[in-house]
Amino acid sequence: MSEITEKEIERYENLLREMWTASAKYLGILSVNLLVERVVWEVSLEYQEIELLQYDQDGISCARIAARLKENPELPVGDMFMKFITRYVAILARLIGRERTEEIKKRLNEEFASIPFDSREE
Amino acid sequence: MPTNLLLSVSVKYWQEFQDTLAKVMDANIYIFDINGGSFSRFSLPVELCQEVNKGRELRNEKCISFYKSALASLEDKDIVTCPYGIKLCAYRLGSYAQKIGFLVVAPTRLRTQVGLEEENTFVSKANSIYQTINEVLKAILEKNLLGLRRLELNSIYEISRLMTSIVELDKVLDLITNSLIIIYKAELCVVGLREGDKIKVAQAKGEHAQPLIGREWPLVHPLMEQVFSKVEPSFLSLEELRPLPGFAGVEVTPGAEILIYPLWTALGAVGLLGIVAPVSMDDNGDKNLQIYANFAAVALSNATLIRRLEREAETDVLTGFFNKRALRNILANELERTVRYGTPLSVIFLDIDDFKAYNDAFGHLSGDVVLEKTAEIIRNSIRTVDIAGRYGGEEFVIILPGTNKEGAVRVAERIRKSIETFPFPHRRITASIGIASAQKDDSIDLLLARADQACYRAKKEGKNRFCLNLP
Repeated sequence: MSEITEKEIERYENLLREMWTASAKYLGILSVNLLVERVVWEVSLEYQEIELLQYDQDGISCARIAARLKENPELPVGDMFMKFITRYVAILARLIGRERTEEIKKRLNEEFASIPFDSREE
Repeated sequence: MPTNLLLSVSVKYWQEFQDTLAKVMDANIYIFDINGGSFSRFSLPVELCQEVNKGRELRNEKCISFYKSALASLEDKDIVTCPYGIKLCAYRLGSYAQKIGFLVVAPTRLRTQVGLEEENTFVSKANSIYQTINEVLKAILEKNLLGLRRLELNSIYEISRLMTSIVELDKVLDLITNSLIIIYKAELCVVGLREGDKIKVAQAKGEHAQPLIGREWPLVHPLMEQVFSKVEPSFLSLEELRPLPGFAGVEVTPGAEILIYPLWTALGAVGLLGIVAPVSMDDNGDKNLQIYANFAAVALSNATLIRRLEREAETDVLTGFFNKRALRNILANELERTVRYGTPLSVIFLDIDDFKAYNDAFGHLSGDVVLEKTAEIIRNSIRTVDIAGRYGGEEFVIILPGTNKEGAVRVAERIRKSIETFPFPHRRITASIGIASAQKDDSIDLLLARADQACYRAKKEGKNRFCLNLP
């Protein structure tokens, strides 16, 4: 049984929403959606379930991933989300500069203390 | 294999597939990436390997160095013997255009005496394994490539929409650089716009992009001549680009090539697009990027043209100052700021004395010189944050944000004296000046009218002086 609970999915969802909002401020919604689409594609090469992530101009939702987790509790969602975040932040740093990315990371680290951010690729 | 972005595949899932195949075929399978580094583990324990390194991973330096050197010199396929005497079948994976990695097939048991027939059976089994694995990997590569192409096409679609929906140059520049960095994970992306006989870097993104922004590259520079001598992109190394201003501090992955696309439209060269991408392009990738560059060229051309028209629509041709319409728009914004932040704001209304008589006596060309020189004097007498404009005929308006009436008086007197002492052709020129400071609930018309009234008073009191409009 996976240790990732619905609450943790909710935490990841909140985190992704914060990242989405913070990035949209600098990049605009169009670029942020393209960035999410790109990272979803890249992560889906390893974890197809990331394709269940819903995103549009209003933001991000993990509802379908949470539903999938109920059907398949073995889903490595923790690793999947970490890969998503790492790759997202790595590209974001190129777009808005390391300094601004650090600011976003710092703020998110304060709110989501248990999730380590790193813009370096694994 | 993770080094090849397009062959990104879950190692866990791959290992399961590889282990099943190894079990069915009763052979040991091992896969290396294109640099000879290990990708997957041995599928089955090899007796001798177990003795050497406990089986499942290559920890023995001797083995690692053997594989590296054997695979580096591998053409297509070969039978090689490892340092511990095991005969292995080695294959290059992928196609000639897209190299993926290497496959090594080994027997499951160590046999000292192997007959020719047994060896042929093993080689034939290894060939079948190679065919299967190569086909699967090529299919994964193809699938991943299709995903990348879909991303490219989506972005091209967005850029094409831009041509009809977004006309702000800054937004177009951002969208072009952002989408290229996102799609290709580009290390660096540069857009240069043509300004006369040079290319000016209008936007650059990437880790070391900042020093490039605003740099100018003359079109007569040999590198620019090379880029604009054709419609296809030029592949240049960072070393070749070093002579261009701004590239001294730029760093990219060693050996990376920079693609520079000249941006052409029916009107000629618009600018250039430079990109450092880690993804090796195939023919389709090249074509997609070329289509992207073509759309980018048209979008940039439209946005540049609209920006120029907007600037021309708000600029006075003779003096280069803002015209009346632009001045009123700026004044509206400044008044709003004054209300919001409570900062002072003053306006100077300047009228050249007896300008009609000067024009009548010495002609309109001489009159134009007076207007040009007066504008120059005003420009040299104000701060960069102050805004000057030609309000009409021989009237100028100067907006002084954050300046109270005392500050405005100092500026007005400085301008008046400079005009009075400037050696204009034919005769001395003077100006009358009215000053008004913004009040609560002021409108553009009220503020300008008070400055105008003060100027009128200055005229009435003998010209060549300033008057304050006191509430």
